Amino acid sequence: MRIKTPVLYVLIFVIAALAPIQSLYAQQDDPFLDIKEVTSPGGIKAWLVEDHTVPVLAMEFVFRGKGSKNDPAEKQGLVRMASNTMDEGAGDIESQAFQKELQDLSLTLRFNVSRDHFGGSLKTLTQNQTRAFELLNLALTKPRFDEEPVNRMRDANKARLKSSVSNPRWIAARIQNDRIFENHPYAQNSGGTLSGLNNITPDDLRAFHKTLKKDDLIIAVSGDITAEKLASVLDQIFGGLPATTGEDEAKTEESKAPLTNAGKTYIFEMPIPQTNIEIAQPGISRSDDDYHAAQVMNYILGGGGFGSRLMDEVREKRGLTYGIYTYFREYKETDVYHVTTSTQNENVPQMLELIKAEWQKIKEEPVEQKELSDARSYLLGSLPLSLTSTDSIASLILSLQIDELPIDYLDKRQEKLRDITSSDIQRAAERILNADSFTTILVGQPEGISNAETIKTLPNVE
Amino acid sequence: MGISSALAKDTNTAPQKVFNAKTRKLDNGLQIVVVENHRAPVITHMIWYRVGAADEVAGQSGIAHFLEHLLFKGQKHEQLGTLGPGEFSKIIRSLGGEDNAFTSQDYTAYFQSIASQHLETVMTMEAGRMRGLDVPSEDVASENKVIQEERRQRTENNPGALLDEQMREMLYANHPYGIPVIGWLHEIQALTRDQIFAFYNQYYAPNNAILIVSGDIKAEKVYEIAERTYGILKPETIPPRQYTSSPPFKASPSITMKDETVRQPEFKKIFRVPSFRQNKEKSLALQVLEEIMGGGPSSRLYKSLVIEQKLATSASFSYRANNWSDSTLYITATPAADQSLLKVQAAIDAELRKLVKDGITDEELSDAIKRMQAAAIYARDSLSGPAMVIGYNLITGSTLDDIEYWPRDIGAVTKEQILSVAKTYLDPDNPYEFPPVTGYLVPEAGEEQ
Repeated sequence: MRIKTPVLYVLIFVIAALAPIQSLYAQQDDPFLDIKEVTSPGGIKAWLVEDHTVPVLAMEFVFRGKGSKNDPAEKQGLVRMASNTMDEGAGDIESQAFQKELQDLSLTLRFNVSRDHFGGSLKTLTQNQTRAFELLNLALTKPRFDEEPVNRMRDANKARLKSSVSNPRWIAARIQNDRIFENHPYAQNSGGTLSGLNNITPDDLRAFHKTLKKDDLIIAVSGDITAEKLASVLDQIFGGLPATTGEDEAKTEESKAPLTNAGKTYIFEMPIPQTNIEIAQPGISRSDDDYHAAQVMNYILGGGGFGSRLMDEVREKRGLTYGIYTYFREYKETDVYHVTTSTQNENVPQMLELIKAEWQKIKEEPVEQKELSDARSYLLGSLPLSLTSTDSIASLILSLQIDELPIDYLDKRQEKLRDITSSDIQRAAERILNADSFTTILVGQPEGISNAETIKTLPNVE
Repeated sequence: MGISSALAKDTNTAPQKVFNAKTRKLDNGLQIVVVENHRAPVITHMIWYRVGAADEVAGQSGIAHFLEHLLFKGQKHEQLGTLGPGEFSKIIRSLGGEDNAFTSQDYTAYFQSIASQHLETVMTMEAGRMRGLDVPSEDVASENKVIQEERRQRTENNPGALLDEQMREMLYANHPYGIPVIGWLHEIQALTRDQIFAFYNQYYAPNNAILIVSGDIKAEKVYEIAERTYGILKPETIPPRQYTSSPPFKASPSITMKDETVRQPEFKKIFRVPSFRQNKEKSLALQVLEEIMGGGPSSRLYKSLVIEQKLATSASFSYRANNWSDSTLYITATPAADQSLLKVQAAIDAELRKLVKDGITDEELSDAIKRMQAAAIYARDSLSGPAMVIGYNLITGSTLDDIEYWPRDIGAVTKEQILSVAKTYLDPDNPYEFPPVTGYLVPEAGEEQ
């Protein structure tokens, strides 16, 4: 029932992108992480990392392709609303009783949504697992979508949206999605528009729920459960879902959509002392041969936080900002490379120039050996940090499956990162980085910016 | 049910500890705490200093936080080595680690998460900057600009944050907690290198710090490395902590923030209540009360305001136990589309009156205790989490036993204790001697409150 912004997948993808391996800790031939594939008698598959350190288990899953990109334009927020209401009563148990039982058993059971996928997660103490699985099964197969909780979640989403329009970072991201994904469903507001949220009925939610089927499921489990036990509960939890919905969903694999409005700058005026800056340009596909070189390049340029070239230039040397970060984001239907930062209104032109200069520099000059080896060691050595809680392990192995990577991916990855050379980075930079293709969003009162279009009304809010 | 059966695996006599932490003190006064956890080959290393924004000299707000930034800007120590500006974090990253720091009213903490084998490197560098800070003047000047940008990003750009800052200034009149941790903009701008270094020299020392390591390492190994790194530092004379205090007040202030960027109004009321260090019994009662009033969708405030009366779309009730001096209790609510802030406020007051008059039920109490005890099991399911929890508790005056036996102590809270704290601190008709402050965040063209 929690109203949450869809950051979940962002985090997962970032972790996956930084997710090479560290062989120092494992025996030569041991896998970095012991992931087992478990298949239930009914044929449902899950990846499992068994770990009995604490009496806790976590399950994460997605229904591939069922994300908010499917929202009808006049009902934006539909899938989000489904994620808010599927845990608000199921079977014979009404909303309040359902939530109270979750709370009394200290269960976390919630649903989430990204642009591409619809997902859910369960975290429970081992001692309460039987009831936890029953409640998850009920929520998945017999959600009630009663009028009262649907209205309550609608109101909460509208209030959250109205709060967001005071937040310059949210505004910049909203305009960016609208501009770079023009005429694509990704341009829509996955959190819903005020009118779209009003249009959504319990029947719409029921119709969406009917599209969730076993064929689209990806499941990851970690913690205090054995493979045998998991195999038997998978059918109990997910077995009641339809195998297919019977609809024609033979969508052909679409080619990736190009970003729109390259080279343009947009200003949204707000009476605040600091301008928020969001820049986007085309990214790189996971299947590209230069994908790993691009990850190292990004770490050096702005992905690494403290010590990255951009952080050194604009924060450490000049004090222009509190932070500057770059990151890749891969969607099913497109790939984006982002820069995000903020600075006092009068410094915006200088900031934009400095970013462009770093874009040029990494293309023209080979990265020095020390910088390269430091970046590689970070990317190789930091993976264990994402394996320190039951749910972070489940998230990681879910992201591998979402990205259609093999079960031994974490081991293969090591070789690839080790082999990256400075000429690989230069080649990747030359191919990917293009400051002329920047779509730049400025929210605040930036000074000294010419040739910018002013945005007066926020897109897909009303 | 609850925590007992889960934790009863090992023994069933003495109450179970949450973290099973081990501790030792070095001769120079540095307290060390270790939580062993062998799930992944990594550790979190944290050093907590018993100094924060509330220890600043009047008129020099922001020093503690500024200093925290400068600890990444260079160090020089005869035995522990020399690092240039920015080098500390670069070395941590090149070893596959993460690092950062944070400043509060009562403490400042620095932490790294990294492969266990690098602990000695980390400890050598962290010990080196405990007494050997060495920052070029030009880096102090550029960092001042960074901090101003940080303040703009966190506060000046955000009307809700500006309102909160001003409310706290009223709640803590003549008390250092009334001054924001990051400092007032005009005072940050005027800070000098000498002022900041005087603060550093006075407060950064082994006998004013707690070292916490959690993760894949044996306690004895931690003590051994700590002895040859931190152990070579000498204890210093630390001035006693003396916060100024507020006189009792009669009036209950309400303030309104009108801003043209605001579209969704918000209601907020902040109460001043005892911290754990000041009164353990009352603090435990307030913690259970928080769970009953504000803990999720079955809590009293959410049920009443959001589900039953439809006056609000969200409601929260949150108590912060870990302050050195007086703590805060926040009640917030987002009014529903056609509802006024005053109506929401009246409904909150009605809930508080009901609480003060009738107290809570046996079932509410036992359900809340059960959930809180289960949360203690989840608290172990993390690398840095235990180090965080132990750190902010110890540094604000709790003992290790207070932390380890928290589930037992929570289980002992009574209805009478809860009724008593509710009456003393939360009665809308009979405010406490430090009365709550009410804040309204409204659109420029919004209704008058």
